[in-house]
Amino acid sequence: MRHAEAVARLVPKQLQMTGMTGSVPYYGGRLSPAQAYAASHPAAPPPPMAAPPPRSPTPPPPRRDPVAALDELLESGVITEAEHQELRDRLAT
Amino acid sequence: MTGPVQVIVLGFDEPSFTGEVMAELTRLREAGVVRVVDVLLVSRDEDGTFETLPAPPGTDPDLGRIAADVVGNGDPDGSPADDSWSLADVVAPGSVAAVALVEHLWAQPLVEAIRDAGGRPLAEAWLSPEDRNGLPEQSG
Repeated sequence: MRHAEAVARLVPKQLQMTGMTGSVPYYGGRLSPAQAYAASHPAAPPPPMAAPPPRSPTPPPPRRDPVAALDELLESGVITEAEHQELRDRLAT
Repeated sequence: MTGPVQVIVLGFDEPSFTGEVMAELTRLREAGVVRVVDVLLVSRDEDGTFETLPAPPGTDPDLGRIAADVVGNGDPDGSPADDSWSLADVVAPGSVAAVALVEHLWAQPLVEAIRDAGGRPLAEAWLSPEDRNGLPEQSG
């Protein structure tokens, strides 16, 4: 039912329940509307305890330039000139 | 504002604001018993929304403004507290209601006396007509 002469929208405000002589803690032996609402809308369970933040992993050591490493191996005699060249060719591909 | 103020919500099939009711309230006001702070007419649509209705012809055009401030301006997303109520709890969709704020001038001295005596309210209710009929006449 809509009344053509309605003048403004009204959003009901929650008013505190109280008696003439002060705040009466008991609502006529029944659940108050707010209590009934709360009973039919149980609060969501509290979220589980948050897991501790993951430990920041140790940053990997900076990657060494493979060409420089090959040069070092060649100079130290670990690999031959041919092996050095072969490995450099692999890096290039 | 000195005395306790009661919010009375009355349902009607159609907006109504009889002169008889106002005449009686005026008489009580003159006797220092009650004071009508304000009266607001509201309608509730089938979808649950409320709208205020204009003051009846011949009345103060500002009638209802104070009551609208008291019972309106709510939070549409708010949830009721344990000890609260609103018009949405009592006015059915598709109906019309009058909201009256009535200050009980007579009660202020009583409330002060109760407070001074250390009394605290435990319950308040109105006796039903059936229970009132069981009272002896001219009691007290």
